[in-house]
Amino acid sequence: MPSIVGGIAAFIVCLAAAGVAPALAQSGDPLGVGRRMLAEDNPGDLWIDRGKALFHQKRGPQNASLEGCDFGMGPGKLEGAAARLPRYFADTDRVQDLETRLITCMVRLQGFKEADIVRRAISPGGSSGSDVEALALYITSRSNGMKVDVTLSHQKEYDAYKAGEYLFFRRSGQTDFGCVQCHGEAGKRIRLQDLVHMTDKKGVQEVASTWPAYRGAHFVVRTMQWRLTDCFWQMRLPDMKYGSDMSIALILYLNHEGNGVVIRVPGFKR
Amino acid sequence: MRKFALKWAVLGVPALIAAGCATYPDPATTRQIAEGMVKEGFTASPGHAKRLVQDRSQQICSKIAGAPLTQEEAAEVVKLARASMRYPASGKLAGDWKIGNKLAHDGAGDRILRGKLEKRKENGGLCQNCHALAPGEINVGNVGPALTGYGLQRGASEAVVKLTYERIYNGWAYVPCSNMPRLGATGHLTPEQITHMVAYLLDPQSPINQR
Repeated sequence: MPSIVGGIAAFIVCLAAAGVAPALAQSGDPLGVGRRMLAEDNPGDLWIDRGKALFHQKRGPQNASLEGCDFGMGPGKLEGAAARLPRYFADTDRVQDLETRLITCMVRLQGFKEADIVRRAISPGGSSGSDVEALALYITSRSNGMKVDVTLSHQKEYDAYKAGEYLFFRRSGQTDFGCVQCHGEAGKRIRLQDLVHMTDKKGVQEVASTWPAYRGAHFVVRTMQWRLTDCFWQMRLPDMKYGSDMSIALILYLNHEGNGVVIRVPGFKR
Repeated sequence: MRKFALKWAVLGVPALIAAGCATYPDPATTRQIAEGMVKEGFTASPGHAKRLVQDRSQQICSKIAGAPLTQEEAAEVVKLARASMRYPASGKLAGDWKIGNKLAHDGAGDRILRGKLEKRKENGGLCQNCHALAPGEINVGNVGPALTGYGLQRGASEAVVKLTYERIYNGWAYVPCSNMPRLGATGHLTPEQITHMVAYLLDPQSPINQR
């Protein structure tokens, strides 16, 4: 993560060398040109096939595939499933996001140890990525072209929604930051990095429709759980527990606010 | 909602109640649920877990969806901020702008990764993340106002020096609940570090005050 500043600097040098620099003065989005160029050929697409293979392959101590996994639309039904997550699942009595639901299946169907999967879920930058990252992308890609449609019906979904909202605005730590301090206004940046305006419908729809995403600076596909973890790190808070109810509440809140947007993954992030 | 539920119960349709009466929790319940989630949401040593606990000002300043502060709340935040002010032992509030320049461009320090605290002799000032600084610098944020020419506009009188120091140490004394971290009051920066940033902002020699 410390390489990010260097990465940005290198990126600017590249843009300047390519003759893009003169356009910067006129554009309110100095890195947008380069980002759009890169997004047209998204390396994250390669992860989809890998995730698909992992999904159908018999794996784990129980030598089973994930074809029996129920993401809320019935066992093995992936079309549109990610568009409705997070949601309440009776068999775990929990609101789950895509990643925690996936891990439930990897444990229950395939016999993997939860702690082992969680430890490896977020891969090191520059690695070939984790199984969870590839699977999460593949499963979400089966909702590509469909609209995000998170609905609240179970009491725990209502609770998670309100908790997520509360958490978005909750300030703590030595930076006094909540999410909204960086993501509450249009056109804001941390250094050169654009910040998504999440209290705006269009902004929050970007969040709800572009994860998992290929992260250029890390050369891997990243998930929403990673995104939150990294934010908390910058906020100087302790390590977020992967798949915690807190993370799921935030994701449910954001996705719900983004309802109606068409999913297009993998997203591309600088 | 309660009344509604009662009516249906009387009518003897308990299944409908279970299905139909799920609803948004009230603010107190929401708070209880969400604070429980925060407690369970991180892996942290007891020392690091302290960072998750809100102080009184943070509680007041966490209004949902831009709900306004009441006058009493604003006054309490200002009062707490005033009470938090500490000054360097030397009493000198303007230090060395060269050290301040370095600090202003340092965004590191005190982050926690896999339980380990980022190893640093001192924390960075974080200014560059959110504020435009010296003229011509590109890699600067815009979450906060531009500080370019800060001293040119204000001079460096004793009153300006003190105000600048206090706005970095705990800006909520002047703008309660602003986005600006209370860098001194939360312990992110030491009083001495803040004096260097004051000099960086106000010294006519500082790059931030060049045209």
